[in-house]
Formats: sequence, C-alpha cells, structure tokens
Amino acid sequence: MKTEKADVPTPTTFEPRITAFVCNWCTYAGADLAGTSRLQYAPNLRIIKLPCTGRIDPLFVLKAFENGADAVLVSGCHPGDCHYTSGNYHARRRWTLFRKLLALTGIGDDRLFFSWVSAAEGQKFADLVNDVTAKVRKAGPFQAAHPGRKA
Amino acid sequence: MMKALRQEAAKLLQEKRAALIIGFAEREGHPALFISKPEDCERLFYDVSCRQNLAAYLSKPEVSARRPVAIVASLAALRSLVVLTAESQAAPGQVLALAVDKDAFLGTFDVAGAAELLRSKYPDLGPEKALLERVGELSKKSVVERAAFWAEEFAKCTRCYACRAACPGCYCARCIVEKNAPQWVSTAALGHGNYSWNIMRAFHQSGRCTLCGACEAACPQGLPLMVLNAALDREALEEFGARPGYDPEGKPVIGSWSAEDDHSYMR
Ligand code: SF4
Ligand code: SF4
Ligand code: FES
Repeated sequence: MKTEKADVPTPTTFEPRITAFVCNWCTYAGADLAGTSRLQYAPNLRIIKLPCTGRIDPLFVLKAFENGADAVLVSGCHPGDCHYTSGNYHARRRWTLFRKLLALTGIGDDRLFFSWVSAAEGQKFADLVNDVTAKVRKAGPFQAAHPGRKA
Repeated sequence: MMKALRQEAAKLLQEKRAALIIGFAEREGHPALFISKPEDCERLFYDVSCRQNLAAYLSKPEVSARRPVAIVASLAALRSLVVLTAESQAAPGQVLALAVDKDAFLGTFDVAGAAELLRSKYPDLGPEKALLERVGELSKKSVVERAAFWAEEFAKCTRCYACRAACPGCYCARCIVEKNAPQWVSTAALGHGNYSWNIMRAFHQSGRCTLCGACEAACPQGLPLMVLNAALDREALEEFGARPGYDPEGKPVIGSWSAEDDHSYMR
C-alpha cells in the first residue's frame, strides 16, 4: 500500500521559496558568473532583476511575502560601486529602518537577507544562496498566520 | 493662558500678520476651528486633550489659499511645521505658530523662531517612557509572538485612513494605497492589505514623524500606531542621528545618505 504521494510536502521535504531582488549591474552579473562557471547552488531562488538597488521599493518585499515567498534576499553593488553612483547608499538607509520595522511586526532576519555581491563574485553568490537557503530551511515555511501573507 | 492665546490671535488678525487662524474649539471633542475675524478669537481653546496636529491643514489647498496662516501648535506640531518647511511644503514667512505647551502659551513664532525655541528649550523631545517600554516589551517577544500581536491589531483596521488624514507628514496628493495599476496595496480591509498599509504608513514617516500622536488619536479602531512610530523614531536616531523637526533646512533621513552608514547586517 502506498503511504506517501511524492507531491505532498512533508516537513522533511520543505523546499523554501526565496525571492531575490537584485540589481542588474553587480549581483545579477555575479549570479550569471556563478552560472557560466557551472557552480552548483541551491535551486530555491527566484531572481527578479531591477536596474539598481535604489529601485527596490520596500513594497516589493511585502508583495513577495504576500504571494508565497518564505524569504527575501536583496542584493546589489558594493558601496562605491553602484552603476548610478549612490543608489545603493540610498537603498541601505531604507533597509536599515525597514528591516527593523519588519522584525518588530513578525518578519525577522531569518527571512530577510541583504548582501553586496559584485559581478566578479560568482563564488560569493553561490555560497550566499546556499547559506540563505539552509537558514530558511531551518526557519521553516513563512507562517500562514502572519498578517502579511495572502489568505 | 487661554486669555493670552486669544489676545495674541486677535492681534495677529488685526495687524494682518495672519489672514486665518487655525485653533481648537472649546466644545466637546475640541474640533479644529478656522477663524478670520478678531472677535471670534474668544472661541479659541487649548489643553492637553487637544490631540489633533493642526499643521496637517497647512498642505490643504483651502488653507494655503488663505495665507498667511497662524496655527495653534503644541511642541510636536512646532516640529511638524519645521519638517514641512524642510520638505518645502510650508513657505517660510507664510506660516506662524501660536505655540502652546500643556498649560502655557509660549508666544508667536515664525518657523525659524520655532526651530530656535525647540533647539534651545526642548532639544530632546522623543517618545514618552511608557511608549518606549511598550516597544521594549514587544521586542523581547519572539517573531512568532510579534506576528500574532500585530495580526490581531491590524485585523481591526477598517482602512478609513483617518490616521493618514490626521498626519501632517501624509500630504501626497495621491497616496500609494490609491494607486491601482498595479495595485500595490490591496484595498480590502483584510490581513495582507492591512499589513502592507500599516507598514507603509509607518515607514513613510520614518525619520519625519514628530510623535505628535494625532494618527493614533484619530484611529477609531484604537490601533497602537505610536508603537510603530516610536520604534522607528528611536532607530532613525540611533542609526542616523535623526531629529526631525529641529532644522528647517535639514535633509530628510531617507533621501540622503552617508558612506559611513552602518551596514553590519549586509552579507
Ligand atoms: S505619524 Fe502620527 S505621530 Fe507621527 S507625525 Fe504623523 S500623525 Fe504625528
Ligand atoms: S485610522 Fe486606524 S482604522 Fe483607520 S486606516 Fe488608520 S489604522 Fe486603520
Ligand atoms: S546599480 Fe547595483 S546598486 Fe545601483
């Protein structure tokens, strides 16, 4: 008798869905490099490319959580390297406050990650994705009970 | 105190230094009162139960058409006036403040004078201790407990937007919640739309909120909005030294940056 169907997720088969908002010029290129270098990394990331981290509205993060993300990663050029000079400096200020607001309202730093990954850092990107995925796996699915999740 | 306030307001109108006075009425609930005749100044009132921040009217077209305007302003409203000036929303020279604090009338100030008064006499305005304790208690809970706390609170929100109408900082002609192509924030008064709305309302005030409490006082559902405002206020102060409402030429925290900003959370 069959006791398990392959498509029914059990706690041990939880595969986190992680939405990544990355800038075109550094992190996206870094992700590309990881791919062309044939580095293996966790397949849990869905990448959304924006021109610059400065274009990543905090609402994007809320939308991702609303629509089923278990975690969100935001990544762009290292300070000083932004293609548009200061987009990442502007973004950094927003994130510093926004992540505190989310933590206070129930989305902690086990689900919301920030990083700088340059176009040359394919290995860093692969390691980052593996690490983030492992952390979210541990954190478990984003609770259906969180007010930010679509019912 | 009331006598001094009424006399000064009447004088501003007589001397044509103001064409319109916005204050509080004596009748129950102390609604806003709009006065343009000196003899009507007898109807002005103030005590600490006047929770509205009258600086919120300054960006309304009906009011800006009747400048120069003088508003009855608590210390927090004075700060709002300074914030609005820094954000080019109140023309200096067109707005005066009849400053009040608890049971004292402090005098008439223009924006520069108000900023000077705040800096010299009240340099350290911030959230009340009880409010900070509430933030502290909430921060000590687990993320799951915090989510549950806010799920219950946000569920009460009916999306009346009274908090937005009450806030001097919420002056966008078209708010993000009213944009529907795409629909960024669900308008249904339910879970995720309420979460997005309340998060964005608080976030858009970060580094700008003067902790006047008008939003929370206006909320018919009793949401603890000041907990979010106070937490962000402290964060903006610790991280970026933000003291909104003290410098009419100050730059907003979000919208400026420094290469030295902390980013220890970046990976
Ligand atoms: S957010 Fe609330 S406390 Fe802050 S300035 Fe606006 S109305 Fe006042
Ligand atoms: S005033 Fe209260 S009920 Fe109305 S939209 Fe604001 S938080 Fe929601
Ligand atoms: S272009 Fe990468 S952060 Fe601005």
